[in-house]
Amino acid sequence: MPKKIGVYICHCGSNIAGTVDVEAVAEFAKGLGGVTLAKDYKFMCSDPGQDMLKEDIRSSGLDGVVIAACSPLMHELTFRKAALEAGLNPFLVQIANIREQCSWVTEDRALATQKAKALVAGAVARALSHEPLEMRRVEVQPSALIVGGGIAGIQAALDLADAGVQVYMVEREPTIGGHMAMFDKTFPTLDCSACILTPKMTAVGSHPNIQLMAYSEVEEVSGYIGNFRVKVRRKAAYVDHDKCTGCGLCMEKCPYKVDSEFDQGLSKRRAIYVPFPQAVPNKPVIDRDACAYFKKGKCRVCEKVCEPGAIDFEQQDSIEEIETGAIIVSTGFQAMDMTAMPQLGYGKHAEVYSALEFERLNNAAGPTLGKIVTKDGREPTSVAILHCTGSRDENYHRYCSRVCCMYALKYAHLIKEKIPEAAVYQFYIDMRCFGKGYEEFYQRLQEEGVRFIRGKAAQVWSGKEYRAIATDDTGLEVDDAQLVVQAEDTLLGKLVRVPVDMIVLTPAFEARDDAEQVGKAFLLNRGADGFFLEQHPKLAPVSTTNDGVFIAGGCQGPKDIPDTVAQGSAAASKALSLITRREIEIEANTAYIDEELCSGCKNCLDICPYNAIDFDDEKNRAVLNEALCKACGTCAATCPSGAIRARHFADDQIFAEIEGVMSI
Amino acid sequence: MSFEPKIVGFLCNWCSYTGADLAGTSRMKYLPNVRVVRIMCSGRLDPTFVMKAFSQGADAVLVAGCHPGDCHYQNGNMKTLRRIPLLRRTLAQLGIEPERLRLEWVSASEGERYQSVVNEFVEQVRKLGPLNLELDPSVERAAG
Amino acid sequence: MEVATPFLEVAEAIEQGGAEDLNVCYQCATCTGSCPWGFVEPLNVRRLIHLAQLGLEGYEGEDIWRCTTCNTCKIRCPRGVGIVDLIRSIRMMIGETGLIPQSLRAALGSTKSEGNPWSGERKLRNKWAADLGFTPFDKNEHEYLLFACCMPSYDSRSRKLVEAVAKVLSAAGIRAGVLGSEESCCGESIRKIGDEGLFGNLAEGNGKLFAEHGVERVLVISPHCYHTFKNEYPELGTSVQVTHMTELMASAIAAGKLDLKKPVDAAVTYHDPCYLGRHNEIYDAPREVLRSIPGVKFTEMIRNRDCSLCCGGGGGRMWMETKFGERFSDLRIPEALGVGADVLATACPYCINMFEDSRLNLNKEDEIRIKDVTELVAEALA
Repeated sequence: MPKKIGVYICHCGSNIAGTVDVEAVAEFAKGLGGVTLAKDYKFMCSDPGQDMLKEDIRSSGLDGVVIAACSPLMHELTFRKAALEAGLNPFLVQIANIREQCSWVTEDRALATQKAKALVAGAVARALSHEPLEMRRVEVQPSALIVGGGIAGIQAALDLADAGVQVYMVEREPTIGGHMAMFDKTFPTLDCSACILTPKMTAVGSHPNIQLMAYSEVEEVSGYIGNFRVKVRRKAAYVDHDKCTGCGLCMEKCPYKVDSEFDQGLSKRRAIYVPFPQAVPNKPVIDRDACAYFKKGKCRVCEKVCEPGAIDFEQQDSIEEIETGAIIVSTGFQAMDMTAMPQLGYGKHAEVYSALEFERLNNAAGPTLGKIVTKDGREPTSVAILHCTGSRDENYHRYCSRVCCMYALKYAHLIKEKIPEAAVYQFYIDMRCFGKGYEEFYQRLQEEGVRFIRGKAAQVWSGKEYRAIATDDTGLEVDDAQLVVQAEDTLLGKLVRVPVDMIVLTPAFEARDDAEQVGKAFLLNRGADGFFLEQHPKLAPVSTTNDGVFIAGGCQGPKDIPDTVAQGSAAASKALSLITRREIEIEANTAYIDEELCSGCKNCLDICPYNAIDFDDEKNRAVLNEALCKACGTCAATCPSGAIRARHFADDQIFAEIEGVMSI
Repeated sequence: MSFEPKIVGFLCNWCSYTGADLAGTSRMKYLPNVRVVRIMCSGRLDPTFVMKAFSQGADAVLVAGCHPGDCHYQNGNMKTLRRIPLLRRTLAQLGIEPERLRLEWVSASEGERYQSVVNEFVEQVRKLGPLNLELDPSVERAAG
Repeated sequence: MEVATPFLEVAEAIEQGGAEDLNVCYQCATCTGSCPWGFVEPLNVRRLIHLAQLGLEGYEGEDIWRCTTCNTCKIRCPRGVGIVDLIRSIRMMIGETGLIPQSLRAALGSTKSEGNPWSGERKLRNKWAADLGFTPFDKNEHEYLLFACCMPSYDSRSRKLVEAVAKVLSAAGIRAGVLGSEESCCGESIRKIGDEGLFGNLAEGNGKLFAEHGVERVLVISPHCYHTFKNEYPELGTSVQVTHMTELMASAIAAGKLDLKKPVDAAVTYHDPCYLGRHNEIYDAPREVLRSIPGVKFTEMIRNRDCSLCCGGGGGRMWMETKFGERFSDLRIPEALGVGADVLATACPYCINMFEDSRLNLNKEDEIRIKDVTELVAEALA
């Protein structure tokens, strides 16, 4: 019996109809073989549009539907669902993308209409060769893996764990806490970062539903939505954390010191260490690269002083396997290395600080116990804060890092609070204070007497350098230990030079160096800026194109703490809605091997990236494991005997579509 | 009227098709000559798809996939990369200029790149002129 | 306060003259803050750009002619605005109205009639070559065409530089020929002055000459020639492979083809010419060469590599009078002395001339010598 296809041309308001003659396309569709009815309609995705579709399926007995509308990535699921509700197998629906790839990219009405007709003809031809497929139902593991224990991951972990979900949190550092743990105060409310963060860190450490795997890294990810299998490398700490009481004697006695990463190199830590006193877990690890025993074969002082006998130099990395239903990637960001801008003198002049260094300098638990002093112990009488260093800059990062204006204001406040007589200068291009309470904070800082110079700082010299290169008549008095900042104050139209004791840079937020590697492991796309790409910038901000994997926080793009926490909760809620479904349907378009046609050549075995094809030696035939197949279709393209059928993307279906799109 | 080539585009679902959608969402304008057939992975590109397109009157074929290393299915695109030169050689034997088959990497965030790839390719094919394929029975056969 | 009304036709004309990216400037003033004029008499580059964005007047004064096209603003610009091209475009527009400074008119006139901006006779061009043993370029015999800038033909200081080039090439066994007096100025500075038509004629003439003689590889001593051959001639249809003398020496030394035996006992610092450094990112080759000269104690000045201070001679400033107290080259000599150097080395005939002048004006003849890197290499040859 010939198939009956219904064709629907969506106007999408004027989005399609403004460029494509939708009536002409509908008329054209009516003349195509197999088409029983063709209609154009204002909004196919609206309820009345879907109702019309359902009604037609029922009343006209359609056994195939073509929707010419927006991209299938947008609404294919919507129309498949509608078809199912009307009793039509969802795989008998075909979308012709006449919006994103036609009406929006062409201005010429005649050509756009022509292209739309071709795409519709292709879709109709394809729909005629569609076959009903059954969705596969799979169970969802009632657990979630969170990769990265900064504030985004912490928030997500607690939300999920409180909802009763088993959570695995993997953190590469010896402690969770991320960047937020380094901060002193948080803008614009100035509440103490540690005061609001450490209770959450402790909660993660003690929550019965959270298994914290600190000092660990994800090694390999396999499986699929609802059923991921993840290998985690637990790095050897050389300390048995079950035996360790966290007394800290080992750290006191360890004779070897290296720069503290947590304090940005402004203080020293021992070779056996916890990064900071409130660390979670609060158990030390031995840094192999700093430990004298590992380097020279002797010392073992920590072992001698450890009463519970927790030190274990023989410990090895171990691999742990986790099964999880959902994954949240919250691996954070890194601050740009400011030595890339030599004109600003970072790394050359002692009193030029990066933002994180200043956070530590100002932190009550930091290297100076919160006293803002120069490296030689003087209290600065003047500080310049330079905005947009590496951000909004074609040479480094095009994007705005979104938080620098605000923390620059915060720094100004903290300096003014601790050293009221100090002069604080902000060299800015545009003040971007867009959040709740942010503009008010800006005004408050103006009231506090901070000086704003509208112009990007172009050059920084030490006082000594300045005197060596400046001409005599500038009249600027500057001593050796000072720094000179040069910029044009664009509001004055004058070149200004400001002598200061200290400079704080605002390094761009950037994607971590290993973002590419992490992206590959979790099959995440990355944007041109290097950050992980969300599925939709507005409507699916924490979902990704890899179903079941969500992103949150700084790994998705620069953001402040409120936005990071919001994303952490959003990702948790997406993971929760997946997990609570218990069972989900996944694509039915896996490959299929026709045993009759298989010649046993084994070409497909190597080509499958998921090892989903095995070989049955007895039958001399390839055998497909459907659970592992991800439907890429590469095997079908490789099979020389045509024995492998890529369901829903089968040769005859693609051929039909090619014939269709070329028919006009 | 100038010659308007007909080009069939095989775009992988995850990168290139999404990138093409992004060009649309960003309202970038490009020449309307490419008719897109979506495949899940550029690795799905069976050589016969290309033959079929030419035999149906396409003046050129564009294949686009994820950048090397970014394949959603690990390395399907690399398999395509290896197939294309062979395919070009076959085309040459059939009297079709190999430049009529083009492979490009377009990521999900490269709407602009998709725009320029399409515009460049259309202009290139315009210069090559229409494909005058005397329907050689071998092409038909190869197209299955 | 004055009242201004945007004049967008002018803005569009500037855009079309080569400043297509004019409108992406967001007025952060990194350009003004980076400009070498800041050390003597600040130049408000940002304001020039904004005037151009709105097509407003404001180019009557000297400012637009002060730019030395040193490229510092361009490489620092966060929006990647081609500021040097913008300056060129504005000058081009002004040039069409004939309002070019007098001194530049002379340079342009001489280039038009004699093929060089130095008011020297064409027939004297490359006369030095025969004396130094160079033969006319023959593609079968020579690896390179030596295109030695106009200066050695008309300026005695630069003449010493080509003598050193001859010595070094012969020691390294590198065969280079020259073109005769038919060759013209490369036109780099002419283009920066804004005379696009004259630049086109020069490029076309030289391009034709290269083609006639089958020139494929060109060896240059001036970074200005380097820049235009490499980056501008190809647009006009002439593509040759260009090598700067410092690159050639660095690779010859690495290959063991230059035997530097004779110590040159000197504290040497190196000045990065704008067109070698910031315009073409050649920073390491000259330093590698200097470091391999026996006896040389190499020190860096405060402003080095991409932070180098312009000598003041680019963008047509070679032919313009700069007031005493505003000359960049006068700042560079004390800076070199300040790091203990007794030789200020560089790799550009313009820089050398500017510094030689300053050395005399500042009465520092006894304290510092100005040398091209090639000259130091020649000294080190046994």
